[in-house]
Amino acid sequence: MSLSVATEPSPGLTEQTTSATDTANVVPWSLVVWNDPVNLMSYVSYVFQTYFGYSETKAEALMMQVHTEGRSIVSRGAKETVERQAIAMHNFGLWATVERAGEYG
Amino acid sequence: MADPFTYGRRGISGRFEDAERELLRGLFRDVVALLEPDDAPDEDPLAALVGISPDAAEPEDPALKRLLPNVSTDDDEASREFRRFTERSLRESKAGALRAAALGLESRDMLLDEAAAAHWATALTDVRLVLAERLGIHTEEDAERIHEVTDWSDVEDDDVDAYLALVYNFVTWLQTTLVDAMMTAFRTRTSDGKDAGDGPQGED
Repeated sequence: MSLSVATEPSPGLTEQTTSATDTANVVPWSLVVWNDPVNLMSYVSYVFQTYFGYSETKAEALMMQVHTEGRSIVSRGAKETVERQAIAMHNFGLWATVERAGEYG
Repeated sequence: MADPFTYGRRGISGRFEDAERELLRGLFRDVVALLEPDDAPDEDPLAALVGISPDAAEPEDPALKRLLPNVSTDDDEASREFRRFTERSLRESKAGALRAAALGLESRDMLLDEAAAAHWATALTDVRLVLAERLGIHTEEDAERIHEVTDWSDVEDDDVDAYLALVYNFVTWLQTTLVDAMMTAFRTRTSDGKDAGDGPQGED
């Protein structure tokens, strides 16, 4: 059946995918969550624990960093990954942005 | 006054007075209306089908912009591109949560499963973000000033801001008790999971 053709990626495509992953590892992206005076501290901590699976200690520390420093890098990874996380944060009502890692340390 | 949301053996329950349900339904409806895209009649139906909004631009209304924020602080083109591909589904997801929460208000006593609680949490958050923008809450000091407006008898009939502040504080209170209940439910779930999990017990 002709359908089986589609299950094997072409060698060129595999190579391209691999190199894209490598590049993402070399230049990771950061997900930044910004402070706002509206969202409850308990809610932000809840989101960090349930969405990212962070421990209560880590979630609280990140939440306090957002609160006191105005922003916190809560995740790092490939661009696609942190963009997906940014959408999730926006859906939770948190303001999140993505940036190249190292822009602000 | 009893907490509107509580966690118990059966899960998270919520209970409201008729006037509160009416108020919440109105707030949810208003935010849904804000989120509805102003569809151009000549919109590409295929783009709509796959969730792309080719003309998506940063909202002018600051409240809507807070609900649908930019994804980059310094790259406008990246923000626009991201918006084109994600804004429509974000609008729909938020509106869906608000509608689900409104539907739950049809009964006076609610029992929220995990999904329903999540809908309520985002619905209340979005209502608070919009009210906060209308009230000009931009700093912690603003938030504290609004927080001090607690007495309905202090509010003159034509004082819209004071009325909004009371509504905001009411929704904040709901959100506080809901997040507490969700946190307790989450802790209970995860500690149950540990007990039943494939831990090292029995493997000496």
